[in-house]
Amino acid sequence: MSADVAVNVENLTIAFGAFKAVDDISFCVEAGEIFGFLGANGAGKTTCIRAICGLLSPTAGKITVAGRNVADDLMAIKTLVGYMSQRFTLYPDLTVRENIAFAGALRKMPARRILARSKELFRFTGFSYPQDTLVQNLSGGVKQEVALCASLLHDPAIIFLDEPTAGVSPASRARFWNLIKQLSAAGKTVFVTTHYMDEAEQCGRVSLMQTGRIAALDTPQNLKAANFPHPLYEISPSPAAESDFAAALAASGAGPVRPWGLRYHLEEQNADLWRKFSAERAGQFSQRRIAPTLEDVFLKLVGGGAA
Amino acid sequence: MKLNPAIVGFIKKELTQALRDPRLATLIFLVPVIQLTIFGLAISSEVKNISLTVVSRPGDYLARRIEERAVASGWFSAVRIDSPAAQDYATLLREKRTEAVVAVAPEGLRRALERGNAKIQLLIDAANASRARQVEAYVKNVIARALADNSQAPPLPPVKLDLRVLYNPSLESAIFLVPGIMAMILCIITVIVTSMAIARERETGTFETLISAPVSTGEILAGKTVPYILLGLAEIPIIIAAAVTLFGVPLRGSLFQLAGAGFVFVSTTVMVGVLISTFAQNQQQAMMGGFIFLFPALLLSGVMFPVENIPAGWRLLAYLNPLMYFAKLLRNIMLKGGDWGVFWTNIGALCAIGAAIAAVSAARFKTRLN
Repeated sequence: MSADVAVNVENLTIAFGAFKAVDDISFCVEAGEIFGFLGANGAGKTTCIRAICGLLSPTAGKITVAGRNVADDLMAIKTLVGYMSQRFTLYPDLTVRENIAFAGALRKMPARRILARSKELFRFTGFSYPQDTLVQNLSGGVKQEVALCASLLHDPAIIFLDEPTAGVSPASRARFWNLIKQLSAAGKTVFVTTHYMDEAEQCGRVSLMQTGRIAALDTPQNLKAANFPHPLYEISPSPAAESDFAAALAASGAGPVRPWGLRYHLEEQNADLWRKFSAERAGQFSQRRIAPTLEDVFLKLVGGGAA
Repeated sequence: MKLNPAIVGFIKKELTQALRDPRLATLIFLVPVIQLTIFGLAISSEVKNISLTVVSRPGDYLARRIEERAVASGWFSAVRIDSPAAQDYATLLREKRTEAVVAVAPEGLRRALERGNAKIQLLIDAANASRARQVEAYVKNVIARALADNSQAPPLPPVKLDLRVLYNPSLESAIFLVPGIMAMILCIITVIVTSMAIARERETGTFETLISAPVSTGEILAGKTVPYILLGLAEIPIIIAAAVTLFGVPLRGSLFQLAGAGFVFVSTTVMVGVLISTFAQNQQQAMMGGFIFLFPALLLSGVMFPVENIPAGWRLLAYLNPLMYFAKLLRNIMLKGGDWGVFWTNIGALCAIGAAIAAVSAARFKTRLN
């Protein structure tokens, strides 16, 4: 196996009783890339990450991390990777310093190294509160930055971030993604799950997850290009629109229509029929040519389920 | 010897958390003293305020002596039945007008004794059987003494009594009960606190972060148990001090025995806590599991009821109960001065049970999520 492969998953299945949380998936994460898992809750993102980090035993399939098999070499892999789970990974009743000290102790790091690394990481994340602040008194975004520091303490080559920005303010999300990009630029492999489309757009490659399977996997650009070869229009019905406007649009034969808030996204597959519809319903709507987003891709491939 | 940094880190973290949480710190250090005080005062197997009726002919000097003796003992109050027509004793008892009736032969107790045919009838309300048994013993005792006082005619005593009360000559229940209650409290606190501490990690999700680090199951297990064994051990002197100062319970045995027994017992109950936590996904379940263990453990420990009174089949459970051995050990150490035979027998049994529980807990303790 090439040294440039950080994670390789072959035919991974994880079943809980009859329910298959992850259903026969295979993919590969290259060293140094930002690899995103995009999917709804329950799509199997977290389960898959847990199996890769050795927290769950897979039902079937083979996982290698940095060329080592998870089934045989778990301890070695755990020293190589950093993991930040989607729930609170810090102890709220301990201070920042105590949390970092415990994270370092678990990895048997000498006190001096813990101190040096935490200084470095706090500078990196811009953490500026006193280290004797109890974690429970920090805001969600700052907590996640401290959690990131804790999971980076041992300088792992591969970092798994499971929904690191869930429930965090938009400004904090932007800051956090800035950190992720810096990590990637420094040569780290970042494996991140999210259900924010704008975050997925920032990944090198994205895997769209649906009920334990991979619906699509590629760069955001390729996903958009491959799924939207035709022009995409945003249709905004005007107040003058007749009540059957939506039904008529769908039935026009111009192309697939997806509701988008109060508007519609139309893939113009048949330009003639579209012109015909536009003429018939002139004055009832306005239109705008738009570039497809990952959300369009997601809705097209995975369906209307909330992301 | 180089200490394992992961375990040292764990101990620091657990102790910091336990001592920082005011509720938990209170639970660990203050509640035991309060509980000991309340239980020690409230749980009493002593029977007091027994209403006693002595039925005799007027002028039966010996019968009167029995009544006087009884009242003088402080356990009885005399209920006089004035009307001879009301001498339907069963009715008296049923109506709860009296609790025990001593009826002597109609001809008078002295004459009956002279004839060598002395019979005294004793009727006791046995709605509460264990109380009745004690009332019986008290009344017999009183009668025997009253007759022994009657120096004019030292006859064949109508009731032959050979009662000896050792170790607690004044039959003060507190002195007997307090070591048992101490054992109970230590058991409750260590089991609950340990199982909750592990369940909390699972509930809040920090367990996931723990096992994502390259630590072995043994290290996590040691990290989650050693701090609570230390806390349990720290609690022993506090409870002992409370028992000695508040209840005047003696501490006659060696501190070596106390430390040894305390260490084995606390380690065992901490492992019981681990075992319970392996069945629990959150703190509520751990608490429920704790009660499922604690109720039978407390009842079948010989602290509240003698183990000998438990039916044979169920008695087996008492013999598997670590609390029973520790209660015995504590009584042996505190009251009897620590007989070495008793010590080794019970500590041996406790070690065996503790090792079995530890083995099962360790086998069930998983560092995987599935």
